[in-house]
Amino acid sequence: MVLKRFTPKKTPLFFSPPPQEVLWSTGSIIDPWDILSGKEQKMSQLFSNNYGSNNNYGSFNTTYVNYLVADDRSNILAWLSPLDPRSRHQGIRDRRIESVGEWVLQTREFRSWYAGSEDGESDGAVLFCYGNPGVGKTFVR
Amino acid sequence: MVQSCFAMEIRVLAKHSLGNTNGPEEVGEKGQVLTSHDTSSLVIDNLYSRARGRNTTIACFYFDFAAQSEQSAASMLGSLLQQLVFGLEDIPEEILEAYEDRKHAMGGQGLQFSDILNMLQITSARKRSFICIDALDECAAEHRVKVLDSLGQLLQQSPGTRIFVTGRPHILPEIRTRLAGRAESISISPKREDIVTYLRSRLAADTAPDAMDSTLEGDILKKIPTDISELYVEATAFQKLP
Repeated sequence: MVLKRFTPKKTPLFFSPPPQEVLWSTGSIIDPWDILSGKEQKMSQLFSNNYGSNNNYGSFNTTYVNYLVADDRSNILAWLSPLDPRSRHQGIRDRRIESVGEWVLQTREFRSWYAGSEDGESDGAVLFCYGNPGVGKTFVR
Repeated sequence: MVQSCFAMEIRVLAKHSLGNTNGPEEVGEKGQVLTSHDTSSLVIDNLYSRARGRNTTIACFYFDFAAQSEQSAASMLGSLLQQLVFGLEDIPEEILEAYEDRKHAMGGQGLQFSDILNMLQITSARKRSFICIDALDECAAEHRVKVLDSLGQLLQQSPGTRIFVTGRPHILPEIRTRLAGRAESISISPKREDIVTYLRSRLAADTAPDAMDSTLEGDILKKIPTDISELYVEATAFQKLP
């Protein structure tokens, strides 16, 4: 199945780009519907003109297939959820002061929680960090 | 010496916790040394940096009081599912089939809650999966029950999945009940070094640097973290005085 052949070239640091960013960065040039409706020769020429003589019909065809696959993958991801948790994450990360709170990563609880995923043990699978939510006051020890 | 702090627009108001009556709405996020949101984002970044080149997929979700109406258990699990699927090279066959069946569904994705949970179980079992949930206490109570029960079911299917949760301490009993025997907990109040780092950072950003000299700065860094034991550092501490 063609869908399963698609592999992202690199994994972004955080979360998926929303579909509109993934789709058609060159989409204004190549429209799959043109190709499906028999205008592929014209599109091939356009592609060739824009990107030089190395792009023969065959490589264009490959490119086109990859776009279609990327398109489907993005559509499926968009279908699974319309939410974008990145913006909230980014906002919090921006106001975080470097190294504050990093001791959490060194605690016995965190380390055994993290390592446990390799053992496939569900004991200790959940780590709950409780404290001040961010509005209100910080209780200092 | 604390008097001198006033000159450089820093004010530390010390109050015993029981005597404190100000509501959370009176202060913003700016004056916080360490919040649970900070911890969530720190852990998420840490997991992402460690995940590179490993067989790992990660998802996170930030609950928010202000967005309660759109943050149902279903939309939250859907978001987690999407992110975990994103971390896989191949979309699981079950999800491809569900998409083909329902992509033309009227009024949305056409998925039932049980469909999402089922896909989440399948997806999280494919790779080493990490789920981070921030401010679970800000999820509406009826949805929180569903979320916790779903996570319990997910762990049955995919016991290697790790779930990181932050929130106010009052939901700890609920977590213990719903995820019996699977939950550890840590209190995340700031340590002394956090306060020192925080003060240093704020002092570096001080808008009246002339009022500061190295002796004063040294005294502040030495005195404040010691003196404010068991006291509140208010968010007003760094607001400008008239």
